[in-house]
Amino acid sequence: MSEQVADAPQDSPRDDHEADAGRDPLSMLFQPGAWRLERRLYTRPVYELYATLIALAVTAVIIGLLVIIVGVSPLDAFASLYEGAFGNRESALETLVQATPLILTGLCAAIAFRAGVWNIGGQGQFIAGAIGTWWVYDTFSGLPAPVLFVAMFAGAAVFGAVWATVASVLLVRYGTNEILTTVMLNFVIDSGLSWLLSGPWQANNTPYSQTERMVESAFLPRFFDGSRLHLGFALALVMAVVVHFLVRRTTLGFELRAIGVNKQAASYKGISVGAAVIAVMAISGALAGLAGAGELLGLHHRINFEFGGQAVGFTGIIIALVARLHPAGVIVVAIAFAGLLNGATQMQVGTGIPAALVDVIEGVALVLVLLAAVACRYRLRKIAHHG
Amino acid sequence: MEDFLTYSVILGIFVTTFKIATPLLIAATGELVAESSGILNLSLEGTMTLGAFTGFLVANETGNLWLGLVGAALGGGALGLLMAVMTATVKVNQIVAGLALNILGLGGAFFWYRSVYEEGGAVAFPTVDRFQTATIPLLSDIPAVGEVFFDQHWLTYFGILMVPATFIFLNRTKYGLELRSIGHNPEACDMRGVGIISRQYTAVIYGGVMAGLGGAYLSLAGGNQFFDDIVAGRGWIALAIVIFGNWRASWILGGSLLFGFLEATQLSLQASGVDLPYQLLLALPFLLTIVALVFNRSRSQVPLSLTIPYHRGER
Repeated sequence: MSEQVADAPQDSPRDDHEADAGRDPLSMLFQPGAWRLERRLYTRPVYELYATLIALAVTAVIIGLLVIIVGVSPLDAFASLYEGAFGNRESALETLVQATPLILTGLCAAIAFRAGVWNIGGQGQFIAGAIGTWWVYDTFSGLPAPVLFVAMFAGAAVFGAVWATVASVLLVRYGTNEILTTVMLNFVIDSGLSWLLSGPWQANNTPYSQTERMVESAFLPRFFDGSRLHLGFALALVMAVVVHFLVRRTTLGFELRAIGVNKQAASYKGISVGAAVIAVMAISGALAGLAGAGELLGLHHRINFEFGGQAVGFTGIIIALVARLHPAGVIVVAIAFAGLLNGATQMQVGTGIPAALVDVIEGVALVLVLLAAVACRYRLRKIAHHG
Repeated sequence: MEDFLTYSVILGIFVTTFKIATPLLIAATGELVAESSGILNLSLEGTMTLGAFTGFLVANETGNLWLGLVGAALGGGALGLLMAVMTATVKVNQIVAGLALNILGLGGAFFWYRSVYEEGGAVAFPTVDRFQTATIPLLSDIPAVGEVFFDQHWLTYFGILMVPATFIFLNRTKYGLELRSIGHNPEACDMRGVGIISRQYTAVIYGGVMAGLGGAYLSLAGGNQFFDDIVAGRGWIALAIVIFGNWRASWILGGSLLFGFLEATQLSLQASGVDLPYQLLLALPFLLTIVALVFNRSRSQVPLSLTIPYHRGER
């Protein structure tokens, strides 16, 4: 960077202007050295937003081309995607239903990534949360309803946190790469759940791997008749606010941001990096656990082998990264992605494009947003041409 | 249990060991080269899945398995090229870039598969006439040894061959040594005039090609079809094998074979009807990976600049 600045002629803007006078701007553009890519000393946060929006627009173009290759008009595809996602009150509410776990798993990834801890285990912690919820439900079913609800959510948070803590303790104590341990733990708990569902928790008189259906008093209340939107959505929004304040306004939040920027500097400042990493991972896992509780209590009311099938934990990682780790952004992106998931079914029926297009959209969007985030730290500067 | 310890069962375990180790070995030796240049490519799982699909697609469309391997190499290499652009040129955080391309690889394979083979919402599950084992004359007639070592797929021989080849490349050739020095100290290499970016491109694309071939083993030799979960965590295990193999080709061979052996034992235990929940056996490779990572913490050979992007003129 310093090199580039040193190379640039040290002209004042006024000289620049005089040098340009009378020149054809196009020839300026094609003169060697007339334009230079420079790193900005300071990038205004709003540029990041613009860059993200441009990246998403380019994503739409690329996906449009892909749809043309498949042999469908992109306008038809996008129209039916939108229609299925937000076209009417029912589909819009259903989009919010699907956004509920994604907001929480998005926050799970965002808070951990903010601290530079790569928790890829949101999926496993989500399932751990569902297991915790069912365990509390099964064990303490005699409790009065309000207490039981609190206990079930607490159980979910604790189970999710514990499953994440396995990885963070190994990281802090032995330096074991947390990316790999959290991924491995996802696979391990999948098998654990499969065992529970075909063994100790299997419902009576059924060949299927699933639990009994919960009693109705343990269902989360729903907001509207005719929609599955449940209290878990409100909980997810509250959690986004909580995470925002935690990161911005608390000591732990300061510490985790400091660790995220530079672990060594943070530890020189007197921050206990190990303790902060364990705390962040526990919170992160708890958020994913809450997502598991919300899905179980608000939507499915039983755990079956399809419970983790929507891969909400993995989608949460994409959401967090596209949202540049901002909690408010997580809400927006989660709703947008939920709209894609929801609309994709209609798109497949209406146009024959496989619903798996959503996976490609997510991947392309993420790659472009990451590239744009780097690009907005640079600027093209016109410099005077001498001689 | 006594039935279990028969000659044929034990022989079967050793034969299967190599079959299971093959995709791990091919992907892990490729990743070793990529990481030696200082770039951690976390997208192995997605790259292997895309390679398994493009390999299957080409083989199925042309009817030629060898062209299928070319397709797998191209699919994996394309994702490797994208990884190189993102990390060596644009210098996006390598972990994030790897996760992103992992998702793109998986999503791309899922979508492409359905847009080719889905009719009216249902996939026909096409199959290919997969590779047969390449029986080496005379040597394969040796009792036991012949069956284990000389009656395997070409890709298995290739994977094993890549171990000494990778070792010689990284430790005995000029280009390989330059690659490793970039991974340790890019600034010094830059001053010596060793082109960093071109070498990182080569290494990362090579890693992608190998991951693609590892995936193709699953769809063209080990099995004969593609399905979403075909890689089933092997990409992540290959990444773990590079770490607990301490970035040495020989240990990577050992790690892959150890995994293959444990998995093969598990499979034949399952087949012999041992009274253990099969889920425990399914979770075993992943638990073992964690245990291996915890107990083997030797990091003496890690490329010192792994995951740290190099910006000329910055510290």
